[in-house]
Amino acid sequence: MEKKLLVEDHIRRNKQLTVVVCTLMALLFIAVIFAVGYIFFPQNLLIPLVFALPIAIFYVLVTYSFSVQTVLSAAKARPANPQIREEKLLIHRVEEMSIAAGLPMPKVYVQDSEYINAFATGKKPEKSVICTTTGALRKLNQEELEGVIAHEMSHIKNHDILIATVTIGVVGAIALIAEILFYSMFWGGAGRGRKSEGNAALMILAILFVILAPIFARLTYLAISRKREYLADSNGAYLTRNPNGLAQALGKIKQDYPTTKPKGSKTIAPLYISNPFKSTSVSSIWSTHPPIDERIKRLRSM
Amino acid sequence: MWIWILFILIIIVVLLILIYVGYYNRIIRMENRIDNSWAQIDVQLRRRAELIPNLMETVKGYMKHEKEVLENVTKARTALMSAKTPQENIDADNMLTGALKTLFAVAENYPDLKANQNFLNLQDELTNTENKIAYSRQHFNDSVLAFNNTIETFPGLWFAKRMGRKTREMLQIPEATKEVPQVKF
Repeated sequence: MEKKLLVEDHIRRNKQLTVVVCTLMALLFIAVIFAVGYIFFPQNLLIPLVFALPIAIFYVLVTYSFSVQTVLSAAKARPANPQIREEKLLIHRVEEMSIAAGLPMPKVYVQDSEYINAFATGKKPEKSVICTTTGALRKLNQEELEGVIAHEMSHIKNHDILIATVTIGVVGAIALIAEILFYSMFWGGAGRGRKSEGNAALMILAILFVILAPIFARLTYLAISRKREYLADSNGAYLTRNPNGLAQALGKIKQDYPTTKPKGSKTIAPLYISNPFKSTSVSSIWSTHPPIDERIKRLRSM
Repeated sequence: MWIWILFILIIIVVLLILIYVGYYNRIIRMENRIDNSWAQIDVQLRRRAELIPNLMETVKGYMKHEKEVLENVTKARTALMSAKTPQENIDADNMLTGALKTLFAVAENYPDLKANQNFLNLQDELTNTENKIAYSRQHFNDSVLAFNNTIETFPGLWFAKRMGRKTREMLQIPEATKEVPQVKF
């Protein structure tokens, strides 16, 4: 009973935090637009307001509405094929966990990769996607796979997926702007040519801000993502009533060193059940996930 | 002066109405969730019962000497089809789970059967429905627990009484099957 109440409290707090973080991301994005505007047109701040802001808002809306497709194509994922036994069993496990969580059935996708991994994405629990790698299907047994799916289902139930997806979109967009700015300054000298018109110190500050903005966005997200991993682990164990499955799966992920390089874009790393680009167990301020050993320890003690 | 007292009274009345509406909706929603989870269980139980004749058809040719095993499965299926109350349904389903477990264990002795694609498929499907039943049962009990907690604690207690709502029964799971929520994968 206590556990149940706790879970619901967490979900409510998660929803509130999601709104706060998404607002912060939007503000950051608008600030970047202004900074870029200042760099190019230091004499007139109305120009970015008139031109860039509508474009930025349009971009954010487009990113939001296509976020799921963007993530899936970045991961090179394809819909699971029920004709293949492994993938049919994956669909079965997802069906079971959606019943356990009392959620509608998510779409099931598969990513061709040697690595054991999985992620969930989507804008809301009613329209979500769960994706696992083919490596996970081959190397995990059904009990472990069930634990992994339960973890992802908890992310969906806790409303974690929107915030992760939005962060990826904003970080990607800001990084793109920073890159364009960098090259245009390097080759065209668009901003440099007019530097006499603006305040040099403010100009440098604006440039620094644009360059550092993706890092701010990531840090904002990281501040909450690790906690949510622990939460999804424990809620997942609550769904299956079997913490062992996920603990074993994490153990296998830790031992997992395929010969090929992980595929897909690095920007979607925070979505996965374990970071596909790092194999250390050391926690740092940059880790999207808590160390695997600590996660296993917490699951085993349940 | 009078205006102020009237104003405060109106605010209090509006607040009370809002609280009542909130609790009313909450209790109804929780009840619907319980009914919906029962419907889920029911769907899965039917699906499972429908799979059995197929399984029997596939197995018959291979397991000629296991008459008793096959009969137990058929008997459990009949019980499941004629069950009326939720608890009867669950009991019959537990019987079926036991009978199927024996059947799949015995099937290990028949390599030809184990290699049969149809049999393998049915085994996957039956495992799937069995897990779904276990998890919808779990979700049903979770929903009942949340509902009972709401209407047995203050102030939900008071609203539930006014609405004529009583606590719901959880599904009892026999000791023997508690240990195996999932058949071997």
